[in-house]
Amino acid sequence: MFYAAFDLPSAPASAGISWPDVALSFFAIVLEGAPFLLLGAIISGLVDVFLPAGVIKDWLPRSKTQGIFAAIGAGLIFPLCECGAMPIVQRLIRKGVPPAVATTYMLAAPGLNPLAMFSTFLAFRNQDPWLMVVLRFSFSFLVLVFLGFWLARLRPEHMLRAETVMGSARTKPEMTPNPGLVLTPRPGFSLGGLQQFTGAVIRDFTGVLLFLVIGAAAAALFSTGFDRNLLAPVGQNLILGPLAGILLAQLLCLCSTTDAFIIAAFAPFSISAKIAFLVAGPLIDLKLYWLYRSAFQARFVHALWLRALAATFFLTLLYSLKP
Amino acid sequence: MTNRIARQIFFFAPAAVMSAWATVMLHTIATGHINRLLSPMFRNYVLTAAILLLVLSALYVLLYQPESETAPALVPTGRLRQLGRWLVLLIPVIAASILSPSALSSTTLSNRSSTAGVTPMPTWNAVSQESAKKALDADPSQPVPVEVTDLITLSQSPAQIAAFEGRKVRTVGLFVSQPGSAPKLVRWIMWCCAADAQPAPVELDGNTSGDWKESQWLEVVGTARFPSTPGHVVPRIDVESIKPTQEPDEPYLSP
Repeated sequence: MFYAAFDLPSAPASAGISWPDVALSFFAIVLEGAPFLLLGAIISGLVDVFLPAGVIKDWLPRSKTQGIFAAIGAGLIFPLCECGAMPIVQRLIRKGVPPAVATTYMLAAPGLNPLAMFSTFLAFRNQDPWLMVVLRFSFSFLVLVFLGFWLARLRPEHMLRAETVMGSARTKPEMTPNPGLVLTPRPGFSLGGLQQFTGAVIRDFTGVLLFLVIGAAAAALFSTGFDRNLLAPVGQNLILGPLAGILLAQLLCLCSTTDAFIIAAFAPFSISAKIAFLVAGPLIDLKLYWLYRSAFQARFVHALWLRALAATFFLTLLYSLKP
Repeated sequence: MTNRIARQIFFFAPAAVMSAWATVMLHTIATGHINRLLSPMFRNYVLTAAILLLVLSALYVLLYQPESETAPALVPTGRLRQLGRWLVLLIPVIAASILSPSALSSTTLSNRSSTAGVTPMPTWNAVSQESAKKALDADPSQPVPVEVTDLITLSQSPAQIAAFEGRKVRTVGLFVSQPGSAPKLVRWIMWCCAADAQPAPVELDGNTSGDWKESQWLEVVGTARFPSTPGHVVPRIDVESIKPTQEPDEPYLSP
């Protein structure tokens, strides 16, 4: 009925879902993500031990506008995968970096980094690669500026979970990043910095790992069970095409260095649908939604989700409707 | 008494979770199952992470102790919630390591295939073109050992199709037979992990009879054909012989 309403060719029947394949995909995603999450937790632990609070804040520009552009610029220069970014971003916030700046960096790093642009060029090398790189970069940049200025207007207490702000406040266990973990030093075994580092790494790793597991389950379910050919009939549609690209990105939950190769081979999608896929995916998807929930309030993540996808749709729709 | 047991459980939970993850990682590497999950570049990261997690577990038990008896105990609902968190970290990954099959099924193949036909293997460089060229230059009197992806790459160029049409080839892949379509020999192309794997199928024609199971590894010898269908060319092998074979060391093809 949906396809008929828009005068579109009908989609093929879905093949269903294979639960063993979901298990295989889930296992693959967590095994791929866990080492990067651990690396992020280790860097976070090093920041905790060696970087005094406020130092990074002193390095950052005073103006909010400059701070947002500095965060986007840092995303361009310092590649960081989504899984590894979460513990670091949380630690930076606790060390005094304004949440708007840290969050903008978190959003910018996966999508704008040079590796993502290089992989886009290679993936589309037989389909006008420079156009795809320029469109991906410029649309991502514009969406990030839009999100950055929105973030700069928000108060931290409206964005962050209480435990992200409080850190390891021992007085209230439920306020720590990982409430299930209470670290009581063993008398006589105090190793100073190493003890602090170990505690920070374990707390951050196990705290965010929970959200990676939940996000990976959602990603495995849809990347395996969703028949992407269902979106093929609308892929060339001027309005529905970009929406289909955004929806596919939300469901497949691909890394920003891989997504271009998958979508480049998806012939039924128009350029604007493919760009929508490439811009929206690194900003937020089903897996990232859960990872973001490890640091941010649900209401904020929903608002971020809505704005990121609406801005992506608006830009790709403009491109789609251009004369 | 209950409080004491709860304190012990919650103290050892982080070490148990980290050790379990490390054990699952090491087991996956030792059994070679990791080859079915991750591309080669990620495997050493998993090994490193497993070792680090074991070290962290030991350091945790060494440097920390259960909460003292005088510390305020958590309310029962808080305890249940914490226990739930640790179990979510523990059970799914162990279950997935046991339940995950050796290959993706035809259901996922169908969900991840494109109705617009097969596309050549994407690469970081010109590997697939070189591999296909090697197939073209091989001795025409012998069956040419090719990958499924070589035939797909060749099918993109009319000149290469003309040069390779009718050549005898030998290849391996997973057998897939779906109602209403020709049986296929499939290789999966993996970028990072099995979750992003894309199927590369070649149709089989002729005598493919045998008691073949779904996703069984087979070696096929036959003649390469490149019939045109509306909009695209689908490579096909006219089968002369077909037999079971071992799973390759690398079941997925990497770009």
